[in-house]
Amino acid sequence: MVSVQSTFVFATAQYQSGDWDSAPLVPANIIDTIAQYTSIPVAPTGVIVPLGSERLLEFPFVFLTGHLPVRFTDEERRMLRRFVERGGFLFVDDHNHDIDGAFHKTAVEEIERTVGPLRPLPNDHALYRAFFVFEDGPPTTSHELNGWGDNLVHEHLLAVTSGGRISVLYSNKDYSSEWNFHPRTKRMLSVDPTRFAVNVIVHALTR
Amino acid sequence: MSAPAVGHVAAQPVRSDAPLAQLERTRRALVGVTVVRGLLLGIAAGAGTWTLLRVARVLWLRMGGSEWPASDGAAIGVAVILALVVLAVVLARILPRLTTARVALWVEEQVPGLDYALVTAADPRAGAAERLAPRLGRVPWQELVRTASRRRLLGPAVAAIAALGVAFLLPASERAVHAARASDATTSPSIAQPTRPTSGPLAEIRAVVVPPAYSGLPRQTLDDPTTVAALVGSTVSLSGRAPDSGAVRAAFGDRSLDVLRADARWTTTLRMPAAAGLVRLSAPGGERLILLEPRPDSAPVVTLATSVVDTVLREPSGIIALEAEARDDLGLASSRWEWIVTSGDGELFQARTGTLGEALHGGRRAATLSARLDLTALAVKAGDVVHVRATATDRNDVTGPGVGASETRTIRIARPGEYDSLTFEGIAPPPTDSALLSQRMLLLRAERLVARMARIERQELVDSSRSLAADQATLRRRVGRLVYQKLGEDEDAEHAHFPGDGHDHGAEGRIDPDDILARADAATGGGPVVLDFEGDETPVVAINRPLLEAYNHMWDAGRALEIADPRSAIPSMRRALEAIQRAREAERYYLRGQPPRVVVDVAAARLTGKAEGRGSARTPLDPADPAARERARRLDAAAVLARRDPGAAADSLIVLRLEAAADPELAATLDAAARQLREGAPADDELARARRLVLPGGLRRGALDAWRGW
Repeated sequence: MVSVQSTFVFATAQYQSGDWDSAPLVPANIIDTIAQYTSIPVAPTGVIVPLGSERLLEFPFVFLTGHLPVRFTDEERRMLRRFVERGGFLFVDDHNHDIDGAFHKTAVEEIERTVGPLRPLPNDHALYRAFFVFEDGPPTTSHELNGWGDNLVHEHLLAVTSGGRISVLYSNKDYSSEWNFHPRTKRMLSVDPTRFAVNVIVHALTR
Repeated sequence: MSAPAVGHVAAQPVRSDAPLAQLERTRRALVGVTVVRGLLLGIAAGAGTWTLLRVARVLWLRMGGSEWPASDGAAIGVAVILALVVLAVVLARILPRLTTARVALWVEEQVPGLDYALVTAADPRAGAAERLAPRLGRVPWQELVRTASRRRLLGPAVAAIAALGVAFLLPASERAVHAARASDATTSPSIAQPTRPTSGPLAEIRAVVVPPAYSGLPRQTLDDPTTVAALVGSTVSLSGRAPDSGAVRAAFGDRSLDVLRADARWTTTLRMPAAAGLVRLSAPGGERLILLEPRPDSAPVVTLATSVVDTVLREPSGIIALEAEARDDLGLASSRWEWIVTSGDGELFQARTGTLGEALHGGRRAATLSARLDLTALAVKAGDVVHVRATATDRNDVTGPGVGASETRTIRIARPGEYDSLTFEGIAPPPTDSALLSQRMLLLRAERLVARMARIERQELVDSSRSLAADQATLRRRVGRLVYQKLGEDEDAEHAHFPGDGHDHGAEGRIDPDDILARADAATGGGPVVLDFEGDETPVVAINRPLLEAYNHMWDAGRALEIADPRSAIPSMRRALEAIQRAREAERYYLRGQPPRVVVDVAAARLTGKAEGRGSARTPLDPADPAARERARRLDAAAVLARRDPGAAADSLIVLRLEAAADPELAATLDAAARQLREGAPADDELARARRLVLPGGLRRGALDAWRGW
């Protein structure tokens, strides 16, 4: 029996291959951001949901990251397919920031095999105006600007869309590293890099 | 303002405080007049506002608008607020001016004969009240207030009365508009407009449904139905009280139906058609529609239980057990298994067909079909293919019989030549579970070897120690791969660049952190600039330092093991194990399934409130397709019609329901609404639900522009 969540719960996907827990501070940081900027009822701590479990269907938004090669099990593929068919929003971030890296190659292959083709998301998409306005599309990360990973500043995010709705949002920008700090650190920053997470989550919950 | 007529009277003794008391009464009277004037002006403003809003609403409705955006409550609220504002403005403007001195001046202005005696007397600093009292007593000005009150209050009173009068007259005009709109709705050409008689031959209709005999379903009687749903081929009899005068006519589509009269009742009978249609009944008192909704008889469903998959047999002999399940909604008549044997090769093929396992089921709704397929009896030979499927028929003798068949199973007999051409695809051997090898295990093995050293031969010690050295090198390469993976190189980097793998790389040995730093910068594309991370370490070194230490200790241990000195290797192996443990406990390493649990203080975070949020641009609803808009319009018209003539509205809904057969939920809702109206009950909920089903996203109003945020 699937229960209905009235409070937004930040869910991190746990998959059997790779290192799903490579960015353990991201959930708390994003929860803090959601609480700061929005009035969305939000649970104070995130949950870890196995990608191959029925529990996946309890959450409208699921975050997935990692460095290592990704190979979904048959059950994980089946549940992910059900998840997006039921309107779920999966946000995948390449923690390597490397389009030639193991995570990117394998995760893209798995997503395209399981859900559908990933296409560049236009930078004037509603996602970039869902809460804060990002005129130039996805905000760059310090890892891109510092030349880590593939030494590229990625112009677009990728997405699997169905009927105009984003079902899988894929990033090579390494938001996992950019957001992987304790929420209290935010007060030291002149610009909060986690604001883009508000757009992603608000878009996921309202479209 | 002209001065009032003030007469002179004979001098009388006057009390010294009498003029001042009269002045105070005058002041109070003027205050009262001001309040009443404010109230009248407020009433006029409020009633006028309410009247204007109602006039706008009437004009809106006359221009074809469907729903006035402001409710009655909102209009009254606006009117009351405006009235209070006007009252407050009047009082705020006038009351502060009504001091004794200014009232005295006003009286002096109106009665020039006072010659400022009143102003002087009213001034306590002058102290002349007693002296001027006789003079003031000679000039009466008591009528002054009354005259001023009439002038001040007449205009506002007329305005208030006029506004109230118009406001009370408006609702009648509005009702007339509503009536006109309702009348317009009923004249829509797309809606059936029969009037439902409340008495007479069409008032109480009874439908008797007799299903076909094969179905075994019972006879059904429906009182006053809006819809008759029955199996195709059922006999449907509609009857009612026979009129004293005139006749009842009945038609199904374009076809007239015979109407019989017997026992003071009329009856018309027809068979349930294969397609839905309307029976139109008409009598002198009005007309009525009844929807006939056919229910088809489903064909049997047959599912193979065994054999489960297609198969290839080595020999053309033996018996194959077959089993299938058959189900039917009304009843199975018979079943059998069909087989086809195809023989031949190339372009020469022969086929034989036959049946087996025939059975009668006598109307049972489910049955198990079993048979035994004897390949020997079928005389199949090598290379033949046998196709088998189960079929079942139902008892439908009206539109059937319905026939259902299972999927076809194929049984092939292999040719003798096939056995010498077996092929297989080579697959990679399964990977060894490298997790079995751990630094702790190597350490235990080294400690045991040290404990046995005194009891074993030198050669055995050398062999065992070198075996341990090889395992230690393997584990070291795994750690090196992990380090290099973090550094951004591929997994083979350690093999390509690190010593201990049996290749000649020149100067092999321990890893220098500075060397690692240079490799990291090269791998990540960074320049010579070093980023501070923790003290003066780079992020790469800080993250991987425990693993680098482990790597170096492993290298030391391996070197000692290579020269058969396990006792010297053990300290390095322990330090390597300890470094690995530290690496696991380092910030970026968490045991699987146990990430740090940080609980965010949501309330504390919310103290900052919203910062720079902006509303996003919304896109308007997609316009509904023309067919849906038309259905919505007809549904709206039927809803309006329901207030005046529920029976006619019910007929309109039945027509809509006939066209909505493809949408079972909408059809059921329309049916429920029609039934409610037939029974004289309100159907608002059903109509609202039907409206939502007809236009799920709501109707986009052409007059509204897209909302673009604040």
